[in-house]
Amino acid sequence: MRDDWLRADRLPHIYCAGCGNGTIMNCVLEAVDQLGWNMDETVFVSGIGCSSRAPGYIRTDSLHTTHGRALAFATGVKMANPSLHVLVFTGDGDLSAIGGNHFIHACRRNIDLTVVCMNNYIYGMTGGQGSPTTPIGKTSTTTPYGAAEMPFDLAELAVAAGANYVARWTSYHVTELTKAVVAGIQTPGFSFIEVRCQCPTSYGRRNKYRQPGDFITYLRESAVLKDRWDRSSAGEELPSEKFLIGEFVRRSRPAMGVPDEA
Amino acid sequence: MQGNVACAEGALAAGCTFFAGYPITPSTEVAEHMAAKLPKRKGCFIQMEDEIASMAAIIGAAWTGVRAMTATSGPGFSLMMENIGYAVMSETPCVLINVQRGGPSTGQPTMAAQGDMMQVRFGSHGDFSIIALAPSTVQECFELTAKAFNLADQFRCPVFLMADEVIGHMRERITIPDSVQIVRPKPLQEGMLPFAPEDDLIPGFAAFGTGRKIPVTGLTHNEKGYPDSTNPARHESLVRRLVDKIETVRHSIADYEIVNEEAEYVFVCYGSPVRTVQEVVQRAKTPGTGYLHLRMIWPFPEQLLSRFPNVKAFIVPELNLGMISREVERHVCVPVISAGKIGGELHAPDELVAIVEQLRSGGCP
Amino acid sequence: MKLDIDESRCKGCNLCTMVCPYRIYQPGTAPNRRGIYVPHLDQPERCPNARLQQIYGRRLCGVCALICPDQAIRWEKEKPYEPHNVVIEY
Repeated sequence: MRDDWLRADRLPHIYCAGCGNGTIMNCVLEAVDQLGWNMDETVFVSGIGCSSRAPGYIRTDSLHTTHGRALAFATGVKMANPSLHVLVFTGDGDLSAIGGNHFIHACRRNIDLTVVCMNNYIYGMTGGQGSPTTPIGKTSTTTPYGAAEMPFDLAELAVAAGANYVARWTSYHVTELTKAVVAGIQTPGFSFIEVRCQCPTSYGRRNKYRQPGDFITYLRESAVLKDRWDRSSAGEELPSEKFLIGEFVRRSRPAMGVPDEA
Repeated sequence: MQGNVACAEGALAAGCTFFAGYPITPSTEVAEHMAAKLPKRKGCFIQMEDEIASMAAIIGAAWTGVRAMTATSGPGFSLMMENIGYAVMSETPCVLINVQRGGPSTGQPTMAAQGDMMQVRFGSHGDFSIIALAPSTVQECFELTAKAFNLADQFRCPVFLMADEVIGHMRERITIPDSVQIVRPKPLQEGMLPFAPEDDLIPGFAAFGTGRKIPVTGLTHNEKGYPDSTNPARHESLVRRLVDKIETVRHSIADYEIVNEEAEYVFVCYGSPVRTVQEVVQRAKTPGTGYLHLRMIWPFPEQLLSRFPNVKAFIVPELNLGMISREVERHVCVPVISAGKIGGELHAPDELVAIVEQLRSGGCP
Repeated sequence: MKLDIDESRCKGCNLCTMVCPYRIYQPGTAPNRRGIYVPHLDQPERCPNARLQQIYGRRLCGVCALICPDQAIRWEKEKPYEPHNVVIEY
């Protein structure tokens, strides 16, 4: 049962009403529950931010670390004891800004980790500052006239850096996301699942998606299935307001920290 | 054997099986030696992308129950500061070797200094306490590294070996014992909360994967490990305990050597300057001198300073502009002369003799 | 199986009302003690999971519980029906 993985004495959690992080936590727990993992052999690691509070609500060993360094801590845990299952929750600011270097190097080393990035386009915990994934023109407290910088495409970045499994879904696509997490976990090597999720409080409020439902509608409508686009687009550029969802890569490059099949 | 290699050998003798590091002069030989030796012992050597990640990786590894270590020098040490604070807050046992070089900034990569002595104690933000050791010979590099692991496990805090470039690159003959004493952390008792202290203010340790479901966080937390960062009383009791668990035992764990308690002019020294001081004190022409050689600098065992009844002045030779001399000054009523020297070379014996003679003739150096 | 919304966890985001294919969840109309508009259930027995889970032997659909950010939606196991004799005393 998925509920068994939760620390019931800590719920309700600190997330705002309608926050996508709780949804993603459900999907990940559903995935590990389907795989029948032992709670005692599972470690959740996270950095700092809204997303990174998630491991504290899960009834396993967990490591809530410093800002951006979750992947470096997870590397230590996994390499010191490869028999542990290590999952990392991280956010877009945590992963791609302060932890960008650790991210590409963890992809390059292809360590057997599963990383779930809750990309809410913003720094939620500090009150809605622009992040490296804030789309151009969108408002945040540090981009009051609209973001002027190009955002990162985290999934493409992970593919280029060498991860073995990369997928992107949104917090609306819960069943697909759950399957992607299962697939990512089963792929030896570094698995990266980016989840675009809603932050109605900090991002939505300033960008006309104040209601969680409106935000979910936006995510659903801007998401384009990668397979379908690849078939039909004939090499066209994706319109800038849209993004691709689906499985980006699944391959079997040499990986580190994979437990011996004994 | 080289000092850096002796550090690595000391770690291996103590059962260190995880090393994460990043190349930096003058500490690189530690990483090189570990890279050669660890894979043969079923250990893990990993070269991380920077020092921040190295420190993070050893904390992660330490929570799986292995003995983990990293080695660095000044600039890398500065990068590690945030995660050192994390290790203190999360009570993670780990060992860090800092082969000090001249700073600030890139400074003198190939020259010796002791400029990180205050940074190691106060560098990370917030109130905390750590343990720092300083070797003065290659033999001590071996012994103190092995000892550092025991202290880290016993007190559940990061322990630092503050070597310097001179010791790190010096070659001396050393004796490696067949085995070294190993003290593992006391286990987390059944039914005890993971951060509930026992009588010695230190909670028992349970590694990841042993079924204790420990939530580790750098936030102010309660005894279950759950974040509780807005409760002033909780924060005060937690941080006071983290400091007190080390500071209350500072006299019983002190590691030192005293020569000539009757001395009038006492050198307080640690690290490579000890070698010069020994030469000065042994010379017949500088009678009335003695020294206090500290192998453990932090926590500072100030009671040792009162062991010299006839002292007229303390002289603190160190390879910085006076760091530990301030700490000495805080605790004594006699003059404290800071004989700081920077630039990368050790004190010449004559320089220290000159200071003693000036003091003896009533002058003030 | 019975659907249940845990009022102590629900924060009233109403995402469940968007995703349920059977429109079982209806937006709340009155605030509860904590001032939260908890959705109410409209004929929850229409949920395929409630009806068919035991027949198929696995969980069906379940999107509402997956998307609920507050882990407030659960299927409570109902006690199996136990026939009991009614003794009528004269």
